[in-house]
Amino acid sequence: MTKVNDVAETQLADVFVELSDTLVDDFDVIDFLHGLTKRCVELLSVSAAGLLLTDGRGTLQMVAASSEQTRLLELFQLQTEQGPCLDCFHTGTAVSVPDLQRAGRWPRFTAAATETGFAAVHALPMRLRTDIIGALNLFDTAPGALAPDKQRIGRAMADVATIGLLQQRAIRDRTALTQELQNTLHSRILIEQAKGVLAERLHIGMEDAFTALLTGARNRNQPLAVLAANIVSGSDETTPLR
Amino acid sequence: MSQQRRLRLWSLIVESAHGRSVTIDDVGAAVLSTGGIDAAAIAVTLPAVPRETMYTSGSLADALEDLTMTIGEGPSAEAIADGPSMIADLDDPQCLARWPVFAPAVIGHGVRAVFALPLRVGAIRLGVMDLYRRERGALEGELLADVLVLTDLACALLLGTVRDDRKGRDGLPERIVLQHPEVHQATGMVTVQLGVSAAVALARLRAYAYATDRTLRDVAGDVVARVLRFDPDEGTDAG
Repeated sequence: MTKVNDVAETQLADVFVELSDTLVDDFDVIDFLHGLTKRCVELLSVSAAGLLLTDGRGTLQMVAASSEQTRLLELFQLQTEQGPCLDCFHTGTAVSVPDLQRAGRWPRFTAAATETGFAAVHALPMRLRTDIIGALNLFDTAPGALAPDKQRIGRAMADVATIGLLQQRAIRDRTALTQELQNTLHSRILIEQAKGVLAERLHIGMEDAFTALLTGARNRNQPLAVLAANIVSGSDETTPLR
Repeated sequence: MSQQRRLRLWSLIVESAHGRSVTIDDVGAAVLSTGGIDAAAIAVTLPAVPRETMYTSGSLADALEDLTMTIGEGPSAEAIADGPSMIADLDDPQCLARWPVFAPAVIGHGVRAVFALPLRVGAIRLGVMDLYRRERGALEGELLADVLVLTDLACALLLGTVRDDRKGRDGLPERIVLQHPEVHQATGMVTVQLGVSAAVALARLRAYAYATDRTLRDVAGDVVARVLRFDPDEGTDAG
């Protein structure tokens, strides 16, 4: 996050405090995201804000909005089919539309937005590592661009929402995730050790050893880590692997 | 105030990410930017090997992690089993008596204070965060409070890497990577050279590194490059 101005910083502090609550077991992520969209409206002086998240199959779902107004919700829903938010999600870059009428894109969305009274829309991507997991949508009744300082705060809010989701996910399944992390590292270590065993036995390089391991696992229809473990323990001494 | 603290720490982390999504590296960067810490490392504990390093702040932290792995003693090794280990002055005679190999070696790197904080997820021991300081002195007050918040976040971010859809060629999550695969490759090669188990092979590599005053990584690199072989017929490992 880049520097934000003093007034915004004080308010932003509350968001971060709410976020820190994500470490607590009974953290409700939907409540948190609703609060975050409301905070966006205050901090960025926009008329409405909403969050769309991918459901894991590449489809966007609305998860939070600053207001329960039915028309607004419909607008967000429509965004799952066409609109700046969808474009933002697909391209991974911010899409800013200071004047919807002039832009002349997304006809259905523009008609619905105009009818609801919105003139400008800004969509900011939510990034989780290199993945785009959703987008933060800001609506304004007056046309106009988002000032650079507000763009920065908006990006910070999108980041904050992402960290909150990440935390929540980690807390929810922490035992399983811990084991999975340790199992994955363990498997990787076994695979590297097995590459060493094969490289030494067959007098080949590590890359060829890895290829031999992959081929062996495929031909035996065996998980790579299982074959690797057998090779390292010496219970599988078949070479070359077939 | 804890509100201010959290705002500051979260800001440091997000700032470090420069618009990317935050990773464990950004938590490490935040630890360093609190001031008063000169090097930091994060390691995960595993059944098969003593520890697997997930983050180091730079060459000093790299060297100290390698040292802990090679000699298997020190505050970090103990913190994994026993809870926080806070060593304000490594020069203290008690420290030298407790870690006769580790303490002088770390001092040799210009480090005077070591703090090892376990990473716990509920009742599970996930790993350890190691902090090193060139000046002697306790980790306390503001800095300690900062660091404790950051250990929590380190856990969350490590666990966050698990749920990644992208898989590597081996079918495992791409984001969970080994920093020094050569150590494990060399271990595999030495099991064949000596006809021993992987645990024994790793112990032999560690012993050789210690005896020749080299890092485990360097020795492993030589084994993989076939510059160094271990010979079962000789009492000492042949170069």
